[in-house]
Amino acid sequence: MVLVLVLGALVVSAAAAPLFERFLGRNAGWPLAVIFLVLGSAIAWPAPRVLANQPVAFTWPWLPSIDVAFALRLDGLSLLFALLILGVGALIMAYCTRYFGHGARHGTVYLLLTLFAASMLGLVLADDLVLLFVFWELTSVCSFFLIGNAGLAAAQPAKRALLVTAMGGLGLLGAVLLLAVAAGTTRLSVILREFDWAADPAFTTVVLLLLVFAAFTKSAQIPFHFWLPDAMAASTPVSAYLHAATMVKAGIYLLMRFSPEFAEGALWTALLVGTGLATAVVGALLALKQHDLKALLAYSTVSQLGFLTALVGIGTPEALGAAALHTLAHALFKATLFMLVGIIDREAGSRDVRRLDGLWRVMPVTATLTGLAAMSLAGIPPALGFVSKEKIYAAFVDFPGPEWLGWLLGAVAVFAAVLTFAYGFRLLHGAFGGTTVQRRLVEPSWPFRTPAAVAAVLGIVLGIAVSTLSLLVEQIILDTRFMSGDPHLELWPGFSAELAMSALTVVLGLLLFRARAPVDRWLQRRRLPFSGVSVFERCYSAVIRFGGWVGAPTRSLAPSVQMLPIVLVLLALAAVGLWWGVPLAPRAPGTTRIEDWLIVAVLAAAVAAIAATRFRIAAVCLLGVIGFVVAMWFLMLGAPDLALTQLLIEFLTVAVAVLALSRLPALFQPGGRLRTGASAAIALLAGAGATVVAFAFTGRRGPSAVRDYYLSESEEATGGTNVVNTILVDFRALDTLGEITVLAAVAIGVAAFVESTPLLRSALQRELLPRGSPIENAADNAVVIRVFGRLLVPVIIAFSLYLLLRGHNAPGGGFIAALVGGAGLAMVYIASLAPDRRSAAWPSVGLAGAGLAIAVAAGLIGLADGSFLRPFHGELELLGATVKGTTSLIFDVGVYLIVIGVIVSALRRMGSGLSGALAHGGEGVLDGLVIRRSKARPRAPEGGKAGHAERYRNGGGE
Amino acid sequence: MTAAILAGVLVAGGVYLVLQRGLIRMAFGVILLGHAANVVLLAAGGLYRREAALIDQIAAVQAAADPLPQAFVLTAIVITFGVTVYLVALAGSGSGDDTEETT
Repeated sequence: MVLVLVLGALVVSAAAAPLFERFLGRNAGWPLAVIFLVLGSAIAWPAPRVLANQPVAFTWPWLPSIDVAFALRLDGLSLLFALLILGVGALIMAYCTRYFGHGARHGTVYLLLTLFAASMLGLVLADDLVLLFVFWELTSVCSFFLIGNAGLAAAQPAKRALLVTAMGGLGLLGAVLLLAVAAGTTRLSVILREFDWAADPAFTTVVLLLLVFAAFTKSAQIPFHFWLPDAMAASTPVSAYLHAATMVKAGIYLLMRFSPEFAEGALWTALLVGTGLATAVVGALLALKQHDLKALLAYSTVSQLGFLTALVGIGTPEALGAAALHTLAHALFKATLFMLVGIIDREAGSRDVRRLDGLWRVMPVTATLTGLAAMSLAGIPPALGFVSKEKIYAAFVDFPGPEWLGWLLGAVAVFAAVLTFAYGFRLLHGAFGGTTVQRRLVEPSWPFRTPAAVAAVLGIVLGIAVSTLSLLVEQIILDTRFMSGDPHLELWPGFSAELAMSALTVVLGLLLFRARAPVDRWLQRRRLPFSGVSVFERCYSAVIRFGGWVGAPTRSLAPSVQMLPIVLVLLALAAVGLWWGVPLAPRAPGTTRIEDWLIVAVLAAAVAAIAATRFRIAAVCLLGVIGFVVAMWFLMLGAPDLALTQLLIEFLTVAVAVLALSRLPALFQPGGRLRTGASAAIALLAGAGATVVAFAFTGRRGPSAVRDYYLSESEEATGGTNVVNTILVDFRALDTLGEITVLAAVAIGVAAFVESTPLLRSALQRELLPRGSPIENAADNAVVIRVFGRLLVPVIIAFSLYLLLRGHNAPGGGFIAALVGGAGLAMVYIASLAPDRRSAAWPSVGLAGAGLAIAVAAGLIGLADGSFLRPFHGELELLGATVKGTTSLIFDVGVYLIVIGVIVSALRRMGSGLSGALAHGGEGVLDGLVIRRSKARPRAPEGGKAGHAERYRNGGGE
Repeated sequence: MTAAILAGVLVAGGVYLVLQRGLIRMAFGVILLGHAANVVLLAAGGLYRREAALIDQIAAVQAAADPLPQAFVLTAIVITFGVTVYLVALAGSGSGDDTEETT
């Protein structure tokens, strides 16, 4: 329980951080530091239990259906990392209060730092693979924002850091998925202890590679190391916390966590030891080369992470103990050094060793603290870094392999350590030694240097009292190797090989430091022909170019260019399917009747005609014909609901299309002969393909089980006898809800057009009508329909309501009823003199929204019986008659309103502006029945597009 | 057989129109493709039983057509109408329904 409370408290503090900042300004770090300390103590509270090998666990079912839990677990390894995160976090928060300036706002940084701490804590506590992955990614995201927060110059480094670590995150995701599928559980502790890794060596190797890839990117191992020095664009507290003490250790944590399974494997050892030592040496060489103190520390971090990786790779209990100890030592001295470099930067105005000199005279305390941390870095007694370095040497010398290999690895380690020693002293000497230039500098205020002092002193005290850590390190060995081992933690272990190696390191390091001038010159001349950043950038832009190349064919404004590949790919698929061949069942008898051929004949003629015609109005008529024929087909197949729907849709489509056509030329745009021929060929192929596929895959089986279910259960389960309607509003109401949501979106989208885009001016407005056109006297010509409309529309509306009510038991229902009602509205609309006056008030969006709300509300009623959209039905004795009722009728009312909303929205769109055109073109006479046209003849064609359009209009009108 | 031919005819017409210039013809092509899809859906239910699925009006449940594809098709028809309205509304705005530059 304490685990989830601590985690929750951190998240809450993150949310509260901007609030603190508002009242306290930069001092918001103080309350946060206190919170971190309190939470750290809370985590440490169960330490005695944890160190007695009784981990604390918390489990809360998160996604029970796939057995993923919000499971946390605190064992020795997690405890070490948790204490580091909260302890160093507290120091960093305190440090922030003085590092940040007065004026600017820091709420975001405080929020992100706290959020990062929460993610990192979650990462090391997670006992579920999915949870582990989520927290892993969260730390990457926090790191991205924290780096990017440092200003424009940090944008690219932030991007690179994110891409590299997120790439590793994908590797982790792959490993997590593979493990979850293979093990059947996502519980980390269970997988580690019970999964049979030996069963499938190939599988184990793949998982191993993915995990190692993830860890290497996160912990900046070669060749992914470049992002870490790059990330130094972030502010110093961020660098100290994320990119030295905690986040970059996440990879090490992951490796240690999975160490029990892989430690014995040769691949694991070779990969980790090889890469780790290479990173340690290269990082140290690069660090020695730097003049910028922060860059020096960044490469130093890379190098130290290499040591840690190599130690985990060795995999002996003593190596893992050394890794744990060095993780702690490194976090302490590296955080200290970063904080001190930040202080120097702030006070002296530079981090470049060539511009800093003799600071020890003016800042003796800072110099001393730096010296203490550098001692730990270089491995000089009595610092903790000395003990951990001894342990590292011992682990290398005792490498579980041929003896010469152990000595070779030990020699490489000594070499890297000598370099470390040299750059540690270079840092110390560069900043503080020499003659004092800036004599007026003073020590920073005590709150500024206290956090660094605490960490520096702790690094020494823990070195002297290193035996107090024995229990923890022992437990970590148990957690990472599942076997016990005695870490032998003592400051003075007696004379041994590692002590001789330490002495050698100091001597060689001092020599290298003394020879710093020639060494520096030599190093500066050596340059790699490429840098990690430039390689990354080249790959990155190559990927972007590749994406552009892939997407290029779709980057056309002409819709037919977009359609063509889709059609061709479908054709290719059909061709492959044909070539491949599929075993087919024999066709069921009786699927074709003689009268069907009549439908085929009429439809084929109409389709041929619509493809051939150049007249828009003819195309609209033919479209109506096709729709009617299809409706006939539906009726013949025993689908009266469909036939009704199709017929009504045809009316409305024609109404909307006619309104649109009044704004468009009478003729279609001409296509070239090539285009006509090519598209005809493709169309015929597509048609043939569709025929073959439809013939192959339909009519080859008996009635489906689900059909029989619906037919037998419909009345019993829903009280309705029109099975199609009960499927729509009862059985599959959630489907229908999705579909009417699409319709509501259409209604809103079309309504948005009305507001936002100009319509084409109608033909009347352009005064391009030929003499004697019926539209000229629109008002007169609409007299008949208007008069009938007045009588008919109420009847139509009443009929539509009747259809709505009876839909459950007979053809009808929300869709059909709304289409009937919509047809009535269309009639009113087309007949009325000034459509947009009257209809501007028709609330299409309101109708659609209300419909959706009603449908959802009907669904919520169902929740009372345990399931969204579950209908209730029952009978009521009313005045002697039995009245059946069901809540799905309410749902159907929602459907009704939405469909009405779509229709109204379409009418408004296409009709708006028509009457205005009448008023404009006809000398302002609107309310009277007579509209006189202005005497102006059609304007002469002006050439170009307008003239082009006009030719087609006249072609159609005369 | 006839259902397959109907679908093929509709697909041919639809594809031809979709590949033409001008948004209105494309919209009509989409409508034809919608018809084709609906015809195939119904054919998937089997066409040898052709009584309407109205339980209280048919003699034997065995003779009723499959109601499930009908339910799919019903909403599909209305959705196609929504798409049509959207395309036609687009065609009626801006500078006409021509989808390609005329030079």
